[in-house]
Amino acid sequence: MKLNFGMALPAVFAVSLAYAMPASAQQASPAPDSAHLDVDQLFATTCGWCHSDGGREAGKGPQLMNTARDDDFMRNRIKNGKPGAMPGFGSTFSDAQIEEIIKYIRELKPHQG
Amino acid sequence: MKKRLGYFSLPVAVVLGATLAASTGFAQVIDTARIDAGGQNDWLTYHGSYKSWHYSPLSQINTGNVSNLAVAWIHIPGRSTRGLQSMPLVADGVLYYTGSYSRVFALNGATGEVIWSHFPELDEALISRQTHSPYNRGAALGEGKVYVGTMDGRLIALDMKTGKVAWDTKLIDSQKLTVGFTGAPLYAKGMVIIGAQGGEWPGRGPIFAVEAATGKKKWEFLTVAGTEEAMKTWGSDSWRTGGGGGWMPGTFDTETNTILWGTANPAPLYDWSGPDYKTQGARPGDNLYTTSVIGLDIDTGKLKYYHQELPHDAWDFDSAVGEFVMLDRDGQKLVVHPNKSGYIFVYDRNLKVKNVWRITHNSNFVKDIDPKTGELIGRRDFPAGKVTEPLCPHISGGVSFNSGSYNPKTGLYYKLGQEWCMTLEVLKTTPVIAPQAQLNIGANFKIAPPPGGEIYGHLDARDPVTGALKWEVRYPEPPLGSVLSTGGNLVFVPDSRGILHAYDAESGAELWSHSDGTGHQGGIITYSVNGKQYVAVTAGFGGMASDDYAPTFGGVYKHMPRDDGALIVYTLK
Repeated sequence: MKLNFGMALPAVFAVSLAYAMPASAQQASPAPDSAHLDVDQLFATTCGWCHSDGGREAGKGPQLMNTARDDDFMRNRIKNGKPGAMPGFGSTFSDAQIEEIIKYIRELKPHQG
Repeated sequence: MKKRLGYFSLPVAVVLGATLAASTGFAQVIDTARIDAGGQNDWLTYHGSYKSWHYSPLSQINTGNVSNLAVAWIHIPGRSTRGLQSMPLVADGVLYYTGSYSRVFALNGATGEVIWSHFPELDEALISRQTHSPYNRGAALGEGKVYVGTMDGRLIALDMKTGKVAWDTKLIDSQKLTVGFTGAPLYAKGMVIIGAQGGEWPGRGPIFAVEAATGKKKWEFLTVAGTEEAMKTWGSDSWRTGGGGGWMPGTFDTETNTILWGTANPAPLYDWSGPDYKTQGARPGDNLYTTSVIGLDIDTGKLKYYHQELPHDAWDFDSAVGEFVMLDRDGQKLVVHPNKSGYIFVYDRNLKVKNVWRITHNSNFVKDIDPKTGELIGRRDFPAGKVTEPLCPHISGGVSFNSGSYNPKTGLYYKLGQEWCMTLEVLKTTPVIAPQAQLNIGANFKIAPPPGGEIYGHLDARDPVTGALKWEVRYPEPPLGSVLSTGGNLVFVPDSRGILHAYDAESGAELWSHSDGTGHQGGIITYSVNGKQYVAVTAGFGGMASDDYAPTFGGVYKHMPRDDGALIVYTLK
């Protein structure tokens, strides 16, 4: 059951680039099989509400770039959230997709220029 | 025995008195006529009365004695996750207010003793997946009931005397759409009106009318493509995920039988259309009826008239935030409505634009708005990519959801303005609707100071129709609480640091202040019980705008809890 839930949403994120509909209207596309997650776009869609500048700066939520938190902490926080501060995404992302988010956070660098 | 009598007799009498006052023997029925009249001892609806003045003629507390104001009692609602954001209500000596998780309390207005409380059982698993949650901004009173919305999409009616559930109506499939209700409902003419959250969520932003007597849904108006005309303003079927909503209460025009309501922004917040927004981008077209003020027939829910304040809003400056200040000026019946952008719109009662003025000092999302027509001049529509010049104001707005106050004695409108900007990079996104709808922002962004200056807030005393400024008070951080003015020639401002200020309504001179121990971002009212005037204010910080304060300003905000709150009630010593 979890897998089913986990696949649907991130697959929709992936669609936006895979289908590449330039200058066309937004469409909530059906979920393909791909589990790949475009985390950069995910931040501009949802996470960036609190984690500013793609996670590079503190906003309503903490700065994620160069975080001292370990992977287990981030894994747990993404899955379960923090009451009153961060929603839980455990029913939205699969374990593999959460690993992609953690990888994105670990690789965050300041914008050049 | 005597000692025991002495101990118990007073509180019992007081509780009994309050209970009796709330009973049919002493209390009058709360109906449309009573709310319209807005009796001076009470505060019967979110905006004070249908006039939405946030003003009371009470003058026992006034410029001459406000220095003697002191805490009469406090009440702790508990579980104040993201602070306490609600507007208290008072009827016949009983104070009603809501806390996070839609907790409802009925308290003796003179002593604070609890008459009843109601903690609804909510879908906590759903709430743990929501972002704009679990705060609640208030209740409505009418026909012997208290009405409150919930984060899991329900509208609940409680018996005013007992707190017992009268009905509980599910209105939104929040488990799928994520959004629920945080705004206060509005009671009018046998109906309870409430608008859904929306804006950045891919949905269609409904506003509902429910029969007060039965809880039966009477009508539903979709703020996204709710008519055939509106459907044509959403290119490429983008109406399916358009956003919208009406997350703060509007008002009722008794003379025209019309509900006036402000609607939320479209999604994604930041469209990548560039200047050709009519044909390009995520949601080609004007996107009716988002970021609009609408007039709905209260009996049928049919749209009578509207004005879209920002066609194709590409900045998250929705119209849901502002109160509808009803005025008579030189024989004209006017409505003043602040837009989140900081532009203040003046309409006739059919929502035809009569004037537009601006409260902010830093604004560049448009060059101007035509005061005669309301047309946007020199708008900035961004293509995908980094935006070079910071956007002003910040996403939290030139004004926020906290209400201003109109004082008929001074003829001035007291309203808070916010000076802040943001950097942003617009990105193409795809709306997510399964398994559960998610935010659709369309950009990465960060708060920034105005060019060449610092972030600040200001209380303005202005003519509500022309915008002419009489005086201004500045704050180092924008206050996020509502404003109250009174017949005692006072203006009260609860600020973000937690200080409640009282000013002379004519001059703006500060006459009194007191710390409430934590930041304000909720309501403030005044009322009278047994001939004694009280001022009630909610304190408790945390939420959409205030969560930015600790990283932005540091200082006291770094130490301010975001899961705490109290209702503080003042009276003269």
